[in-house]
Amino acid sequence: MSLWAAQMWLGLSVAVIGISMHRTGPAFRRHSFGAPVALLGLAVMLFRIEEPPQPESGVVTAAIGAAMWLLPALAGSALVLMGAPLYWKTRPAPLLAGWTLIAVAWYQYYSVMSLVPLDALRWVSTLLGVLLSLTVFTLCVRTAERTTPQEPETERLSEKERKYVESVLRRHLEVADEP
Amino acid sequence: MNPEFESAISAFAGTAALISLFVILAMIGTLNPYHRPAIPVLGATAVILASAYLFAHTAGIAADSVALRLTMSEGVLALIDILPLVFLVSTYLFLRASLRKRPEDPLLVLLDSE
Repeated sequence: MSLWAAQMWLGLSVAVIGISMHRTGPAFRRHSFGAPVALLGLAVMLFRIEEPPQPESGVVTAAIGAAMWLLPALAGSALVLMGAPLYWKTRPAPLLAGWTLIAVAWYQYYSVMSLVPLDALRWVSTLLGVLLSLTVFTLCVRTAERTTPQEPETERLSEKERKYVESVLRRHLEVADEP
Repeated sequence: MNPEFESAISAFAGTAALISLFVILAMIGTLNPYHRPAIPVLGATAVILASAYLFAHTAGIAADSVALRLTMSEGVLALIDILPLVFLVSTYLFLRASLRKRPEDPLLVLLDSE
């Protein structure tokens, strides 16, 4: 495998690792390294000095072609989710901007699309491939969980620990009771 | 073999291999002390190797690293192909979310009536 082909796969791998890192942690405080690692991966994948060999060059060309409609689609989706009344509060400006970008994305896709009826067969095969790998993963996780030995029952709290937990609970309940 | 059928098998094998690779990478990205990744990694690796073998057999090439790269590349291309389908479903869900209205609260209705 040539250096440029390896660079493309390395970039893709780093980008996927970054996206996975970003999904860890609570929604209001995501992993701080996730987004930078994902962007680094994209940069490694797309910025290169030489043209990568086949089949990697075909992948990069297809990804850049799809980015023409995918980027407005992603930005529009994010804005719509920010503006939509998911928690009963609408924010009209992001909502309107989001729908405009989604319309642009569909227009961009419509202007470059070339669908034939046989594509449906390929789509079904693709979905079956996704289903197969996720099913195998689910079964493997279930097997791993079943083979994990159970932890022994934890010991009862000591008198000191019991008093500490009680004081924490009381403190929080008293704070919650305040008007 | 029929070229359409060959293309469908390539898409199936490629996507299965690529998603399994993503599974392994996701486990690396979210590694923590409570993870037990050995069995899922073995399962995902088996899917990758089996898919590469299936692709090589269909394309009539040797099952080596080139076949593995070709399988993964087919997977990326197949996933890019179904992205518009995913976007279509997402657009419908966004439309429903944008037109969402707060359901009437029976307690508030009761207060209004008093």
